[in-house]
Amino acid sequence: MLDPMRHHALHSDAMAGAAARQFVQIGLSEIALAAADMPLCLVKDAQTGRFTLIALLGLIEPRNLFWHDGEMRATYLPRAASLTGFRLDAAGAGGLAVDEADPAMGARGEALFAADRSPAPILADIRAGLERIVADIAAAQALIDDYARLRVIRPLSITLQLSDGREHVVAGLYGLDEEALAALDDATVVALHRADQLAPAAVMAASLAQVERLRQLHNATHARQIAAYQIAFTD
Amino acid sequence: METQQGEARTGAIRTIVVVGGGSAGWIAAARLAARHARGTDDIVVKLVESSTVPTIGVGEGTWPTMRNTLAKIGIGETDFLRSCDAAFKQGAQFVGWKDGSPGDAYYHPLNPPAGATEVNLSPHWQHLAGAAPDRAFADWADFQAALCDAGLAPKTITAPEYGGVANYAYHLDAGKFATLLRDHAVGRLGVEHIVADVTGVTMADNGDIARLELADGGSVAGDLFVDCTGFAALLIGKVYDVPFRSCRDVLFADRAIAMQVPYAEEDAPITSHTVSTAQDAGWIWDIGLWARRGTGYVYSSAHIDDDAAEAALRAYVGPAAEQLSARRITIEAGHRERFWQNNCVAVGLSAGFLEPLEASALMLIEASMDAIADRLPRTRAAMDTAARQFNESFTHHWARIIEFLKLHYAITKRVDTAFWRDNAAARSIPDSLKERLALWREHPPAPQDFAHAREVFSWPSYQYVLHGMGFETHYPAIAATTPDAAIARRWTGRIERMRADAVAQMPRNRDLLRAIREHGLQAV
Ligand SMILES: Cc1cc2nc3c(=O)[nH]c(=O)nc-3n(C[C@H](O)[C@H](O)[C@H](O)COP(=O)(O)OP(=O)(O)OC[C@H]3O[C@@H](n4cnc5c(N)ncnc54)[C@H](O)[C@@H]3O)c2cc1C
Repeated sequence: MLDPMRHHALHSDAMAGAAARQFVQIGLSEIALAAADMPLCLVKDAQTGRFTLIALLGLIEPRNLFWHDGEMRATYLPRAASLTGFRLDAAGAGGLAVDEADPAMGARGEALFAADRSPAPILADIRAGLERIVADIAAAQALIDDYARLRVIRPLSITLQLSDGREHVVAGLYGLDEEALAALDDATVVALHRADQLAPAAVMAASLAQVERLRQLHNATHARQIAAYQIAFTD
Repeated sequence: METQQGEARTGAIRTIVVVGGGSAGWIAAARLAARHARGTDDIVVKLVESSTVPTIGVGEGTWPTMRNTLAKIGIGETDFLRSCDAAFKQGAQFVGWKDGSPGDAYYHPLNPPAGATEVNLSPHWQHLAGAAPDRAFADWADFQAALCDAGLAPKTITAPEYGGVANYAYHLDAGKFATLLRDHAVGRLGVEHIVADVTGVTMADNGDIARLELADGGSVAGDLFVDCTGFAALLIGKVYDVPFRSCRDVLFADRAIAMQVPYAEEDAPITSHTVSTAQDAGWIWDIGLWARRGTGYVYSSAHIDDDAAEAALRAYVGPAAEQLSARRITIEAGHRERFWQNNCVAVGLSAGFLEPLEASALMLIEASMDAIADRLPRTRAAMDTAARQFNESFTHHWARIIEFLKLHYAITKRVDTAFWRDNAAARSIPDSLKERLALWREHPPAPQDFAHAREVFSWPSYQYVLHGMGFETHYPAIAATTPDAAIARRWTGRIERMRADAVAQMPRNRDLLRAIREHGLQAV
């Protein structure tokens, strides 16, 4: 929890947290926006095993390929990417908790407290941003839970062929299986459509084409090139 | 035969009647209905069970085959684990079987030795173990024993239903299991449930069963009858009088005393394997479920009386046993000479029983139903062939299981009681087992030793028990320069890494079960 005694000197460099991320969680309202740049997939939460919706930012190393020269080179910046160091916590100053180990936290960026140790105005913005994300992610979660219930989610593997002859498999990803979607009965399809759940599925499925974008970004900055890749549903 | 259509269908297998509502009956009905009911073949499955004859109420250790069976029936793993108080089982640990000295224990894990399709590690272990005699085969050849030792689960919450890092089976509550199967079979699969005592049958001219007569005056006609009436063996025994082949001369146990033991505290660890502890005249099973343990002493009444056996079980359980009641069960080792006679096939205890040393009973029920459901004869004319095949393969399976169970006893070095001495006496050991033991002194058990493509216990199981029991072997040395030795070295290196990863990543058995009860597992 955020504590003026302990954290009065702490600064937040919002974007630094995004640089080291291989993926970032996104909310329902972000699906169409993030798909303009990033492949949208699902990963399982390590504590609950539930699927969560993410935008993929990197392929091999745990880093964000859109991050270049201190800035995000993408048309859309997922909201959670600039708030990596914070969590909502009613007991903390400004209603927040911080992860001191997050790269966004340190001596650089914006101060979290004024000289008199009162919360800086930025804390209110951060909190409002987090509240919005939490609600938006919950909405995405409901959507994804429905997909899981309909059994249209399948394990997805991205196999990269590297220029040194090696292969790298991006594991632990899941995607929407368009064949399974197409096999749903009419009533279910109409119900999905009326609930605004069909369009997101199409956008997510189409967003996998952005793996090519990640390949290009990777190859622009790495000596070891990604020569080719395959995206496949496994199991 | 009123119409031509009716004539064309003469002899078609349309109605299958399962008699008995224990684990066997409900597995049978659910498997048949999931495979055939509502399909193009238009088969109706009915299950008749008595409300006065109780089920056996034990049978809590399974094989990994249960994962397949449940998936085929259409029950999700999350639902199964939650409603049957089930827990993960990764094998069996045999305590005190080798010589009864302190620390005498070995594992028969469910993972085969690593690299099983590439290399037979057994002879390599024998030579390397000379340098490190403390390294048990199961622990050297695979990582699962380490998970068992640490009380860890075979998978994590992010694994899909029925998938895992290590091979696994379950410990389950038998009563709750039958209830789950019943609700699913009746509610989802369209099985017709009839509660009534079967008092007799009406036979057809060809010696088939035409219908069952019920105590309430009703009757149930059918084309195929599955006898799942437990030890009563109502159809295969009482109607057809198919002889029972006893194997008491090989496997001595004829009694069991069962006791359910609550955990001392709510968060107590759940052992992720069955513990089978040798006693003076038999052995005690100890099976960890979500909410309690199931224990029981399986013994030979020729070697101990019932009261002394119960006292031994109480001593094993400890002070907690003072509040608990024990249930005595009479068992008879052996099986029917034939299992499928005319249009009646016996599945479960009606077919036979062997002490639950390797939890093979439910597996045999599953295997029987695989054979029956997947190769269901479509007409009466095809049934005799199906019956012949079934009888042949299951006679083989029973013989092989008897031999494998006997192996656990035959090579013991215990001489402390008459039970163990009699068990190692040559007259109680089948000739086929003697012959194999002689062979396996010189050669490690290998696929070539097993005739059937699908053996219930194959060479990995034999290796775990033979080496676990300290069976003396003289396998020819394998030069370090051979390709085989290189493959073995590569695998032993891999096992070390797999073991370290698995022990670091797997959650405690109870923690995973709690997470599954809370969040569920995903289907994929
Ligand atoms: C001590 C012990 C330990 C065991 N441990 C294991 C283990 O760890 N693992 C394992 O796989 N197996 C184990 N087993 C075996 C396992 O319990 C059985 O294989 C399994 O429960 C199947 O039993 P069943 O359904 O054949 O018989 P039962 O459970 O006895 O069911 C018989 C059914 O037939 C009905 N019935 C009987 N007569 C009539 C009639 N006249 N009319 C209508 N219905 C009738 C009864 O009402 C009942 O529903 C163990 C067995 C024993 C005895």
